[in-house]
Amino acid sequence: MRAIPSFTDNGRGLRLLAAAIVVINGFFPAVWILLTSLKSEAELVSTPITWWPEAASLDNYVRAFTDQPLLRYLANSVIVAAGATVSSLIISGLASYAIARLNLRRRQLNLTCIVASSMFPLVTLLVPIFETLRSLGLLNTYIALVLPYTVLNLPVCTLVLVSFFQGIPRDLENAAMIDGCTRMGALWRVVLPLAAPGVFTAGILAFVNAWDEFLLALSLNSSPDMRTLPVGITLYQGEFTFPWPVISAALIVAIVPVALLIALFQERVVGGLTQGGLKG
Amino acid sequence: MSVNATAPPPRWSDRLDRWRDPDERTLALLLLAPAFLLLALIVVYPIGKLIFNSFFDMRLSGGRVPRFVGFENYLLVFADVDFWNATKNTVLITLITVPGALVVGLGLALLANMPFRRQWPVRLALLLPWALPLSFAGLIFAWFFHTDYGVANDVLRRLGLADAGEPKMWLLQPGWAMAAICLTIIWKTSSFMALILLAGLQMIPRSLYEAAEVDGASRWQQFWQITVPMLMPSIVVALIFRTISALQTFDIPYTMTRGGPGNATETLAMLIHKTTIDYLDVGYGSTLAVCMFVLSLVITAVYLKRVGNAA
Repeated sequence: MRAIPSFTDNGRGLRLLAAAIVVINGFFPAVWILLTSLKSEAELVSTPITWWPEAASLDNYVRAFTDQPLLRYLANSVIVAAGATVSSLIISGLASYAIARLNLRRRQLNLTCIVASSMFPLVTLLVPIFETLRSLGLLNTYIALVLPYTVLNLPVCTLVLVSFFQGIPRDLENAAMIDGCTRMGALWRVVLPLAAPGVFTAGILAFVNAWDEFLLALSLNSSPDMRTLPVGITLYQGEFTFPWPVISAALIVAIVPVALLIALFQERVVGGLTQGGLKG
Repeated sequence: MSVNATAPPPRWSDRLDRWRDPDERTLALLLLAPAFLLLALIVVYPIGKLIFNSFFDMRLSGGRVPRFVGFENYLLVFADVDFWNATKNTVLITLITVPGALVVGLGLALLANMPFRRQWPVRLALLLPWALPLSFAGLIFAWFFHTDYGVANDVLRRLGLADAGEPKMWLLQPGWAMAAICLTIIWKTSSFMALILLAGLQMIPRSLYEAAEVDGASRWQQFWQITVPMLMPSIVVALIFRTISALQTFDIPYTMTRGGPGNATETLAMLIHKTTIDYLDVGYGSTLAVCMFVLSLVITAVYLKRVGNAA
């Protein structure tokens, strides 16, 4: 009997081919945009098009920051995504702890309620959310996005955190409480440090979700200085044509931070995604 | 802390203690409260408001007073060509991109499941499309499909499949624009599908394949008799997530075509956005949203039943 099951029992060449297909499929759009961003405007509008930049330069990056307030968009995106991450973690962390640990009637119902209602299509609620935030005077503020993004993040954060809290032995907590900790003290000093990997995973997922969101950002924060990166870049307007050289440079600036984040923490991200996904 | 026999009046420190260490059930409710308050503000109250608004003629632009019109908006929706066009496009996108992403995602998952010496390039290649905002994917692929300077036409020309003099106008022709949008959505969403399916694949015990090998099953048989049935739970989960989000498609058509040419690629979400945010017609927009919600509920329910039966 062969030790390796047949599906994976292939030659080195075949494995390389498989890896190449997956890698090319995943990277080609980003690579093409990177190449585009290094070309001059004259090169971009000459046919037939070139694949490799003839005279690579960083002019487009300079223009991306000077033609439009890209730095402002970047700051908006960071503030909104970080704010949504923190608020998602606090709100779903508290709820998850109650669901996973405390003497709670209808535990499962509470979890289902939180997960199901946060998965309600927010598109259909665009108008009333818009109206609610308008009457509260919150349109074109960071809070206007942080609130709905927190709702968007509740299901995945809650699912990830509930399963992490459940994995922490109760005895540790009880021991802390016997030693004089209050329950909140035990949560803060014992449970939270142990759940840190889970909190971190949920945090990355929440950050990426908020960083990527487009429709709400487009609708709720329409004033030019409150735009996030996806909205700001999409609404970049040239005089007559869509300014592709500048756009591609701006896209690279916007992609790199999140790409680095997921590259550094890939295993966590994959774990969190499949955990949140498979339990939903 | 000692207990006094003559109970003194509650002092601040006692109250603080009780607040710091409430009994368990009160604490549970306190901890759940923020989540439910937020959901009340962002989901429950808006649902009520949405249904309420759908019975009014309410336009924020004209400065007119909202007027109760009963079911008039609903009758207008049923007669609205734009609504049916957007519904058709949304359903079409769902019917094409959900199975499309499943097939491509399964393919990627099977390829990524091979025993590579280094896992990270493959894993990162699956994570990158997931982490890329939908709107960016739309912009990037719009550049691919650019009539004059897009790489799609360049590849076709190099392969001798297209005449350099007459480049294909991908995003300017209804059918091709829809095809380009669907392709982009499939590319963007198949890697999340692949990640979920890959996790499913890695949970299949190797011994099953070894046993099948001993029994002389071909790889094709192993795939259909072992891989597919064992993967079914993951497939169902992935399909449900994908279907729910496909019905809400907005970002990619918006960034690639703005719904054009004409309204050939306008989805329900785009129609609602246009009606309410651009035209400020809140009453009619709410009615559209209620109809979209009911529609997606029905489709998801029917679909879940079908998928559930198949699984």
